[in-house]
Amino acid sequence: MRCYHFTEMPYPYVPPDVEEAHRGLKYFMPNRYYDPVRGYQLYQRYLDEYELADELGYDLMVNEHHQSASTLHVSATLSAASVLARTRRGRVLVLGTPLPHRESPVRVAEEVAYLDAISAGRIICGFVRGVQGETWPSNQNPVHNMDMFVEAHDLIKEAWTNHDVFSWEGRFYHYRYVSIWPRPYQQPHPPIWVSGTTRALVEWTARHGYTLCNLLGTYADTAASFRLYRKAAMEAGLPEPGPDHFAYLSFCHVAPTEEQARQVGRKLMWYLKQGKLRLGAISPPGYSSPAAAVAALRGKLGEVRKYSFERLVDEGVMLVGTPDQVIARIQRLYAETGVGNLIMMNHAGEMTSNEVRDSLCLFAREVIPAVAPIGRHWQDDDTRWRVENDRRPVHTVLASALS
Amino acid sequence: MPPGRTEAGVTMTEVDSADRLLFLHDADVVPGPVGALAQLAEQLVVEVPRHPGFGTELDDAARDWDSVADLAQHYLSTMPAGQPTHLAGAGFGGWIALEMAVRAADRFASLILVAPYGVKLFGPTDREFADVLLLDPVEVVELGWADPAACHGLRMPGFPPGQDDEQIERAFLDREALCRYAWKPFMHDPRLRRWLHLVTIPTLVIAGERDRLVSPEHSRQLAGLLPSARYVELPGTGHYPYLESPDAFTAAVTSFLATRQKMGAEQ
Repeated sequence: MRCYHFTEMPYPYVPPDVEEAHRGLKYFMPNRYYDPVRGYQLYQRYLDEYELADELGYDLMVNEHHQSASTLHVSATLSAASVLARTRRGRVLVLGTPLPHRESPVRVAEEVAYLDAISAGRIICGFVRGVQGETWPSNQNPVHNMDMFVEAHDLIKEAWTNHDVFSWEGRFYHYRYVSIWPRPYQQPHPPIWVSGTTRALVEWTARHGYTLCNLLGTYADTAASFRLYRKAAMEAGLPEPGPDHFAYLSFCHVAPTEEQARQVGRKLMWYLKQGKLRLGAISPPGYSSPAAAVAALRGKLGEVRKYSFERLVDEGVMLVGTPDQVIARIQRLYAETGVGNLIMMNHAGEMTSNEVRDSLCLFAREVIPAVAPIGRHWQDDDTRWRVENDRRPVHTVLASALS
Repeated sequence: MPPGRTEAGVTMTEVDSADRLLFLHDADVVPGPVGALAQLAEQLVVEVPRHPGFGTELDDAARDWDSVADLAQHYLSTMPAGQPTHLAGAGFGGWIALEMAVRAADRFASLILVAPYGVKLFGPTDREFADVLLLDPVEVVELGWADPAACHGLRMPGFPPGQDDEQIERAFLDREALCRYAWKPFMHDPRLRRWLHLVTIPTLVIAGERDRLVSPEHSRQLAGLLPSARYVELPGTGHYPYLESPDAFTAAVTSFLATRQKMGAEQ
């Protein structure tokens, strides 16, 4: 099990009444509530924590959202550049660049190649569709989101692997001359990860042999999504996908006693606060199937947001407890889903830097050594997720997960 | 004098009942000859086709259409020849009608536009069109009706309340179609304005005084860019005057058509 440290780099100083008035922290929050000096201090703090995590033996993840007080990462590739400059060892997972929301896939290909080139291949490249609400800041047509994702990916891969000057006249992207410099350090290109739960995207990811990431889903939903992946991969003639083909994002906070862990870990709930976004923002027309849009209207998406802290801890979405308790949860996570990469959101909202650092240190000292061997010899395991043990039909997951 | 039913009754005889009125619907309006369109159907052959993508047998074929020009092309290429046709459109349908008129004004006897989208008139930070793709239905009603309590004839995802799943899915698909045609630039095409001078046919631009989806000022200034346009602003009505004030709407249209015919006879 590889362990990744992640923070969304939130800006936790927006007054509650302002948040209420703007239906949450995202997409439509006037930036008059951003203080440049406090923002600078936050960036330094978060980058310091990435630096510490790297020294402690974690790999690292960055992401991006836009026009949001819940995330100050504005470009996953820019954040990766900052984190690479502060660190020496860990892999930096860029999860991800929201391809349909970026005007230029060629520029994404260049930026990721640059990150890989300057770091001698420390980059893992994540591609995402971009969560529904990102439609509003980017103003990209939600109807074409999936098709743009696929075409942008195809173009980027061509830019990484075609070493002649080529032209691309597709449906959404048009270039007459492409040959990017530098080429990626990892050849033919960095590993590609994709996060998402929609059936078409999971099957696409499986057919390409990329790593599939589930963000904050219940273990049951995560397992279902990964089963769908394995079936699609096998149908495409690929070998049985091992744990390295799967990743899971959870919250995490460990402390010497359960009581302490829960007391601080409760602050992670900040991230799950349900803004009162309009339906149009939650489910822009055409982004999802009409059936999924109806589910959004009926409030059935992102169900984990409605869970209590206690339930989230019980379900393991919140890895909160003593090191031993969390080790047991991670063992269960592996047994149920077969995941080999664990990304941990170790910070949210108003958690102090010391609280984050204490947990990072304790987890690195006591949990990482215990969970590192998990999944190394997966082909000897006879777990329920092995393809030969899995004969039940796979149902589409209606996204308890968030993106 | 605010036009009323009586005036409409008088002028009725002056409108040629063989004339055809092609009325292009707005984005969230229920199918069929609603409100004033039913009144006008007593005097004219009124046709209110569903736009491809909004629940028609052409939906699949239209999946790759991504501009209002596609819709204009569709209507122009399928329109029967010969019969005198008055072209009308409301809101989104008004935009389609404008796209048709700049391409083939000579195929129409007249043009009637109701608070049309389609032409950006003001500066980049002026939000000329309310974001019907983001706003909740109650907000659309709030902005689109002088009297929101009187709202009827609209269909949006989750509105009116009590829709079953199938109806909601249909409403989402309507919105999806609107996204394909009008997402960016939002509700307008910068290439349209430069050809407005070609719309030389008699034109009536109708706006509701209380329209906050497309401001009456926008409609008034747009009328000023059309060579033969008359502008009428109806009091106490919003974005859907043919639903909210059908009598006044019918009177305005009938009066316009009658005057136009009289003028035609004198020429």
